[in-house]
Amino acid sequence: MSRITSLVQLDLNKRYTYADYLTWEVKERIELIKGKILKMAPAPNRKHQRISLLLERAIDQFLAQMPCELYHAPFDVRLPLPLNKQSSERFDTVVQPDIVVVCDTSKLDEQGCNGAPELIIEILSPGNTQREMKDKFELYEAAGVQEYWLVDPIRETTILYHRNAEDRFVGTRPFLAGDTIQSKVLEGFSIEASVFLNEN
Amino acid sequence: MARITSIDQLDFDKQYTYADYLTWEFKERVELIKGRLFKMSPAPNRRHQAISSNLHYFFAAFLRDKPCRVYHAPFDVRLIKNGKDTVVQPDICVICDESKLDDQGCNGSPDMVIEILSPGNSRKERKEKFALYEENGIAEYWMVEPAEEFVTVYSLNEEGKYIGSKPFITGETIDSDAVPGFTVAVDDIFAD
Repeated sequence: MSRITSLVQLDLNKRYTYADYLTWEVKERIELIKGKILKMAPAPNRKHQRISLLLERAIDQFLAQMPCELYHAPFDVRLPLPLNKQSSERFDTVVQPDIVVVCDTSKLDEQGCNGAPELIIEILSPGNTQREMKDKFELYEAAGVQEYWLVDPIRETTILYHRNAEDRFVGTRPFLAGDTIQSKVLEGFSIEASVFLNEN
Repeated sequence: MARITSIDQLDFDKQYTYADYLTWEFKERVELIKGRLFKMSPAPNRRHQAISSNLHYFFAAFLRDKPCRVYHAPFDVRLIKNGKDTVVQPDICVICDESKLDDQGCNGSPDMVIEILSPGNSRKERKEKFALYEENGIAEYWMVEPAEEFVTVYSLNEEGKYIGSKPFITGETIDSDAVPGFTVAVDDIFAD
């Protein structure tokens, strides 16, 4: 097998495995969604990074009392998922969420996290909004993520998704500056939305 | 009482009633949320109007032989509570209880409302109106995001609280529970 050093050597219509992914020496950040390659935005903008930091700081402080660990992108999370509900054939999914919290630390290994983190936070960027929202919502729902925060820096809102009795994600109202956001999965954790939203 | 012919004569920190609202003679569009005054944007932009007219068209076609009615803004919806009067103009509303309709508009809660948002100025729709529609038992509230072309549907759960759907995007269809049988493709909502 020839070395893969550039994205152009890869076929965006083909399905690849995590084993393939590990051999690639490309510079670009990519994700593997059910075997298919998705390019990530080259580098997140400053506001995105600022929001990420402010959230991480608050969560990390809280986690001092809990056996959970916090990681931020780039950090590989592998979600073994069937192609669709009927199919038993599994396709590898490797994503790099902006922020993850893993409480079942047996999922952690040298490469990152193997399985669904308890909490995932994605901060939208202008280029990836539709994809982030649809693909990742569905992936995280199917993979069993307990809580998913969708932070929208443009609208300055945050929606939390939790699993309902049917094991589907249901969303909260959009939280804005002035609201207090409470996590369910990190019991006791709350943060003022204004801490990380509309902060310049 | 002096005639109110300019919005500048009003006090944004004061509480007003629907009776006050009816006497105002200024040109600006305003809403009253629990007695508080909110200015509406002067005129919605072209994109907003295209989406509004698409939604209105699909609802009107679907409801032609049904007892429900669809209206688009400007159309007054009154939610009158002792001393905390509310008069809002949702972008789209569907009303199935004919007894709520009168010459002024709708007196009571519609079955569903839709607001077409914009990134900058939609705090009112996301917060004040969200709480208002929830408290008033409006079974379904659709938030339409023109910039990224997605729709979130909020439906009341058994506790009377809104729970949000996933974001519906291009290629998907939305089924309404509040208007049973109504289905619309996201692409058709945003078609230009």
